[in-house]
Amino acid sequence: MKSIKPRTLDHLKDFGCTVPALVLILIFTYWPIVRLIQISFTNWNLLNDSYKYVGFKNWKWLFTGSGTKYLLNSLKATVIYSCGEILITLLGGLILALIFNTEHPGYNVMRAVVFMPKYVAMSSAAVVFLWMLNTQYGVFNYFLTQLGFKPVDWLQDSHTAMLSVLMLTGWRAIGYGMIIYLAAMRSISKDYYEAAELDGATYWQRLRLITLPLLTPTTLFLFVTTFLSSMKVFQSIDILTGGGPYRSTEVFVYKIYQYAMVDFRMDRAATMALAFFLLLLLCTAATMRISRGKVNYES
Amino acid sequence: MNKKTESLHELEVRALRRRWFFTVLQYLMAIIVTLVALFPLYWMLISSVKSQDEVLRLVPTFWPHEFHFENYLHVMQKVNFGKYYLNTIIMTAGIMFGEIVTGIFAAYGFSKGNFRYKNTLFLVVLGALMIPIQVTFIPIYIMFARLHLTDTYLGLILPSAVSPYYIFMLRQSFMAIDDSYIDAAKIDGVGKVGIIVKVLTPMCKSTLFTVTLVTFTSGWNNYFWPKIIAKEESHRVLTVGLAKLKETFAGQDTMNNHEIMAGAVMAILPVVIVFFIFQKYMLTGYSKAAMK
Amino acid sequence: MKQLMRRSMLAFLATSMVAGGLFAQGGKEAAPKAAANDASKYEVTAPIEITWWHALENQYQPLVDEIVNNFNAKQDKIKVKAEYIGDYATVNETLVAAQAAGQGLPALVVANTPYVAQYGAAGLCEDLNPYIKATGFDIEDFGEGMIKASSYEDKQVSLPFLISTQVMYYNKTMADAKGITIPAYFKDMDSFLEKATEYNADGSTKVWGTIVPGWDQWYFETFFLNNGVNIINPDRKTTDLNGPAAVETTKTMGNWMKKGQAYFATGKGASANMRQAFIEQKAFSVLHTSSLYNTYVDRCKDFEVGMAWFPATDTRKQEIGGCVLLIPAKNDQQTKNAAWQFLSYLCSKDVNMKWAEGTGYMPTRKSVLETEEGKAFLAKKPAFQCIFDNLDNIYPRIQHAGWNQLASIWKSYLAQFYNEGKPIEGNIDQMAEEIDEALEDSLQ
Repeated sequence: MKSIKPRTLDHLKDFGCTVPALVLILIFTYWPIVRLIQISFTNWNLLNDSYKYVGFKNWKWLFTGSGTKYLLNSLKATVIYSCGEILITLLGGLILALIFNTEHPGYNVMRAVVFMPKYVAMSSAAVVFLWMLNTQYGVFNYFLTQLGFKPVDWLQDSHTAMLSVLMLTGWRAIGYGMIIYLAAMRSISKDYYEAAELDGATYWQRLRLITLPLLTPTTLFLFVTTFLSSMKVFQSIDILTGGGPYRSTEVFVYKIYQYAMVDFRMDRAATMALAFFLLLLLCTAATMRISRGKVNYES
Repeated sequence: MNKKTESLHELEVRALRRRWFFTVLQYLMAIIVTLVALFPLYWMLISSVKSQDEVLRLVPTFWPHEFHFENYLHVMQKVNFGKYYLNTIIMTAGIMFGEIVTGIFAAYGFSKGNFRYKNTLFLVVLGALMIPIQVTFIPIYIMFARLHLTDTYLGLILPSAVSPYYIFMLRQSFMAIDDSYIDAAKIDGVGKVGIIVKVLTPMCKSTLFTVTLVTFTSGWNNYFWPKIIAKEESHRVLTVGLAKLKETFAGQDTMNNHEIMAGAVMAILPVVIVFFIFQKYMLTGYSKAAMK
Repeated sequence: MKQLMRRSMLAFLATSMVAGGLFAQGGKEAAPKAAANDASKYEVTAPIEITWWHALENQYQPLVDEIVNNFNAKQDKIKVKAEYIGDYATVNETLVAAQAAGQGLPALVVANTPYVAQYGAAGLCEDLNPYIKATGFDIEDFGEGMIKASSYEDKQVSLPFLISTQVMYYNKTMADAKGITIPAYFKDMDSFLEKATEYNADGSTKVWGTIVPGWDQWYFETFFLNNGVNIINPDRKTTDLNGPAAVETTKTMGNWMKKGQAYFATGKGASANMRQAFIEQKAFSVLHTSSLYNTYVDRCKDFEVGMAWFPATDTRKQEIGGCVLLIPAKNDQQTKNAAWQFLSYLCSKDVNMKWAEGTGYMPTRKSVLETEEGKAFLAKKPAFQCIFDNLDNIYPRIQHAGWNQLASIWKSYLAQFYNEGKPIEGNIDQMAEEIDEALEDSLQ
């Protein structure tokens, strides 16, 4: 038997370092997907012990049958939510980063306070918002009526339910956007600004010509991570609205969960889940395509 | 004093005033933002020490008339918070251990390592970022139930024992380190594990603290999976136990928000404390990932 | 990162395939058939510990402990461990996950009444008939409605445990002052609400005549049933919810909302809001479940709480609510035998009276009602007279695999009619179409 070359052995060790992580990811992420693919071709209702293969029936149901309108509704709700979260995190985060980008006394603590909600458990955060958004006893409606507005039925009105969920999301996400942008701003060389100042550039000019262009990779990083996390929204919806009113907040993950655990239609849950993954892949691919050539962030 | 110097002086004063004005404006905006961010937590805190009648007042009070710290006592009597704390600590510690060990080694392999299909395999890791457990939990649950892992700490920990996010963040950080450090260590006869633990890791302290804090909080705040896998009291964690406080029966909830808030405060307190200890590493910790 | 993410698309799919090869798929086996009846078959022969999953939260803990301890003390073979799982929805989730895995099932579990049909159809529950026959359990003593509600297609898949029905709570003090009573007939609701409602100077409502729960159709579906609507037609595939009687009922209720005499309570926390409105005397009456009687009485310190049967028609149907007890069929025979013993203990006459006194639930045994105990119960809770008078009018829930979907579509449309001013005409046909589709679909 040929002895292993030291170089090969070294490569093998390097590979070995990644094995534990890879194995866990394969078991807990990819293997369930394979199961879902299998289930999507059956009629398994979760309670029954036996199931049979039904070909593309579930797929037909989803894309050409009565499932289509639920698919589209979830698509709509998810897109609205996702756009909201991305807008808050990116635009709101950027604005806050500009406000908080200074070393005057007190800013350290204030930055920490704004960033902190990100780390407050959703189960705690959501019950507080549920309470603050209460139509009769909630403090939000108290503020509104004090300012001379009519009280709002935040979570019971289909026009404001998603907004309410986004308020909770925004509270938790905006500080994250801020910190990421701040971290990036800190690593922009001071030389650029000094040169610009010598040329007599105003604040806005410096922002437009130096800061924003140099933040593009950061924006893309935030966009991709926020997009992916927004598509997975579940717990805030579950606690605040339960998908209602009138399905206005019935986002994908919530709907999939409902199919499985409320309707016991595991076959449909699996089919919807796979459609959702395909959509995610397409969206991520599109994002990458659009951004290609604009920035190079492969180190 | 001639006219020219006078106007220069005036310009300076104006510039100073303007700068002063902006500083005040900036402070003002920063303070408003901070107060808004703080408000929900403040509301949680003061509601938790109000009496039930005061919580239900139509005109809310912004400072409790009377402090009812016994709300916390009631909550502790109602549900087994000590047990929940212990379970949460064990689960979080396990998750952190798993994520740090798998994360550091995988990050090394994917950054400084050299093997075939390295990048492809890294994509496999990143792809996992897209998949929420709410969609995949049934196959995992079935697997765990057959292995008798329901209502065990291992069952709580395993699905979270690796984090693609952790690997990604740390990999970015490792990649920024010059290879010469590794080469120098190799010449000194330091082994692979030594290089990872003694050379690379200390150089990425701030990233490590940042992502570990994320790991800690996401472990602590874990809700969905513990609710499914640990159904019995013996392994129930804080976030799930908190839901128990809501006095529901047949889906009918009651207005015991003062107690719910007290429970919420107790559940997030450790996270808030840890956060304030480590928050100073945040800015530098995120800079590497954010700029790549 | 860009290239990484781009390529991850392919890797994502490719890895799934590879992973599929790595982990063999376990097939599903059919459940073993139940054996013939034979008394000795259902005996517990060796010491055994069994788990009971329930939804009785914190405030009932002492009662649960007492009853479980009593059972553990009175025999030496079976040791019961009671485990609070969460509310009914959580119990359902947990049970379904365990059923799918075929592992970690409890010996005995509570289930909210609407789940009986789906569990029964899927064969989740053990058929209790052989046990009843073999051990001579007196099932006839339950009301007929209760027996039907806990069975599925002639199989006794569960037994009634904590049973309630819909009732109308009203502010008796206010009613006496105003000299009004809860009408017996649905057609008199309009004039009743006219009298019960109070308005502010600006025309907004000060005291609601009544509040209709919109979070669960259970609370208003008997209005429709008694008005002659087939919520599910005999063909099992269609609904009559857009028929003339249904449209009429929908519109009548809509008029209450329009006039500000009633509101349709929806969303999370709706039940707490509704109850709070009643406690604060901002509502003359509310439609709710009889199981909350104790809570209402405890909370309403300033006035007397009355309880009335729903206004109805010639038929005075009401439906069963609350929960049943069932034994998962996948357990081994020893566990099932032990579970049966504990189940029959929990549903026995004496223990049932304990539940009825300690909670807001009603006695389930006919024999109880005629005895001294029944009279003592009524003396303590006189408001329950209206339920005792109408025991024969308590019917099982409608059983259909598509019931959940029907209910969610129905509630959603009604909320749009009542709370967002969507016109009933036309849209109700669209609703019926959607329901028909869901019903037909669920039978496949």
